[in-house]
Amino acid sequence: MSYPEFLDPLETASREFLNGLQDNAIGAICRHAQGYAPLIRQKCAEAGVDARSINSIKDFREVWPFIDKDDIRIFRDTHSDVGGGTSVTIPGLTVSMGTTSGTTGDPTPIPNSRLGAPEIGYARDLWSIGMRPGDYHVHMMFTYRGGHRRRLYNELGVSDIYLSMHPAELPRLVEASIRFRPTVMNNFASPFLHAMEQYIEKTGIDPTDVFSSYKGAIFGGEPLSDRMKAVVKSWGLELYETTSLGDVASTTDCRMHDGFHAYEDLAYIEAIDPITAAPVADGEIGELVVTTLVDRLCPLIRYRTGDLVVIDRSPCGCGRVHSRFKILGRATDQILVDGRSILPREIMGIVENHSETRHGLFQIIRRDREMPELSIRIGYDPERLAGSPDGLKARLHDDIAAQIGVKTVIELVEEAELLKLGPPHKIPRVTKK
Amino acid sequence: MAMTSNPDIVGSYVVGARREFYSAMRTELDRSGTRMVRTLQTFGFAPESFVLTISSTPEVIQFAPFEAAVQQLGLFGINADDSPFDAGRVESISRQFNPVGMMGVSAQTLEGLKMMGHDPEAVFRGRVIWARPDAWATVSQMKDVVARRCVQLGPALGFGCADGQVHIDRWEWEVTAESGALMLSSRLNRFEPVSKLNTGVLGSVSSKACSCGNPDTVIELV
Repeated sequence: MSYPEFLDPLETASREFLNGLQDNAIGAICRHAQGYAPLIRQKCAEAGVDARSINSIKDFREVWPFIDKDDIRIFRDTHSDVGGGTSVTIPGLTVSMGTTSGTTGDPTPIPNSRLGAPEIGYARDLWSIGMRPGDYHVHMMFTYRGGHRRRLYNELGVSDIYLSMHPAELPRLVEASIRFRPTVMNNFASPFLHAMEQYIEKTGIDPTDVFSSYKGAIFGGEPLSDRMKAVVKSWGLELYETTSLGDVASTTDCRMHDGFHAYEDLAYIEAIDPITAAPVADGEIGELVVTTLVDRLCPLIRYRTGDLVVIDRSPCGCGRVHSRFKILGRATDQILVDGRSILPREIMGIVENHSETRHGLFQIIRRDREMPELSIRIGYDPERLAGSPDGLKARLHDDIAAQIGVKTVIELVEEAELLKLGPPHKIPRVTKK
Repeated sequence: MAMTSNPDIVGSYVVGARREFYSAMRTELDRSGTRMVRTLQTFGFAPESFVLTISSTPEVIQFAPFEAAVQQLGLFGINADDSPFDAGRVESISRQFNPVGMMGVSAQTLEGLKMMGHDPEAVFRGRVIWARPDAWATVSQMKDVVARRCVQLGPALGFGCADGQVHIDRWEWEVTAESGALMLSSRLNRFEPVSKLNTGVLGSVSSKACSCGNPDTVIELV
């Protein structure tokens, strides 16, 4: 007897079933949120909405108010509520308090229950990649993401190898990979992929041997350039990209690599016009809005993520019907120079094409949405400098100006300076100064 | 479908400069947590208070039991990485959640707090601070801080009770001193038993019962 292809039968549920499930779940989570989460209650009062009137997704979309990060921050500051009026501690259900990375300020608390939506999502994803009972899974993560409490994979008969998300841990990752021969890894964050490339160059180890047992690795952080994707492919390692689904769940691409899957039993997603908040049809660019259907401790309802996405609800080649979406960038990262819209993703590949800046560490200076020029601070590796810094600066300038087509100003700094802006897996891609 | 004979967890411990992989089952960590309650409850923290654990991911073997004890006592656990780069989170959690205790403060955390312009003494004021050996000399001198020690003996974690003694689970581990160094042996069924593991920690085992009322083994650190 073999194990099933999908961990959860819901993964291959029909569109009709998923729609019915969401119609049933939305009312329950709205009533819970209105009862427990002060910000949601306040927003509903302002909009004159009563959760008891929500009996379907259609009802929900017609009347329920949006919230965004600013609403949460304002509520936090005006009510001395660290959860911003959206998180709830329920004795017995709350087991701990996780926190977000805190890249742009105080970390935001996210209460953890015994089994949260992100853990359910990743279990499905890893199973889909090929993880099975008896396998080893490399858990490479910060402790602030739930501490040492995870146990779902153990309950599935999978062994977790715990490693720090730190470049100094790479030799132990290699050692663990050879000794335990893991099947899957989560999370091989993009900076560590770059660090692994350097480590392989310095030590001369054979990456195809190190990663020979892996059926795949989930990576997150920031999108990889085509160059880096090719490097990792040469190691014999298939990568699966992940990101947070607006802090209500995880979302990862599948073997088709055609967008992030949003599990529709865990969350409802929609897209809106970022300026008018009018609904945007599937297939069109819009701001991603997420609503948890399961999280009673952090009932984020109709939360505007700031991500510009394109949603696709057609069945996927992997066998799932759950919707997918592609991220184009963050609305707040977008700048306009001479009417030209520019997002950090466009800069990434150009910067990474130069040996000295192949780690793709850069920041766009964004004092306003509309800027007279594209001003970028770029980190370089002094050890890889071929020629003078001025020469590198000129090469980068010419390349970016030619490909983006606007007036460009480059500031070069050693990459160590940018890494101090951490946390290590990501730096703010836009900054005011 | 075959039964698996693999461990649930592969964590690690450090002896000397070398970090070794160490495997365990979840049940081993759970039962250690239940026994750590005996030490943690001597403080009488109010339910729903926050307790911060500062650790690294591979320290799961030592700190998962502590987190389980926190949970069993109805407290809320919260985490930060044992890294100078995550010290900002320690300060933020201190300010936002007013934790009653912080477990695992190291020299790295102290360095990171200073690097980010925070006064560690102000961050720790009014709390129980369980300091690792490399931070003990500094933390123990701080005013208005309830300084207690924590120490890893290989895969085991010992930490100070309200009365200041460092306890180790007596069911799980036998601790002996040889030539001034503490040796660790497992007493019960473990996926990876240890026998006379030289922990590299200098100290002795007390023969006295601790005044806190917890009869678990007390170790005295040099």
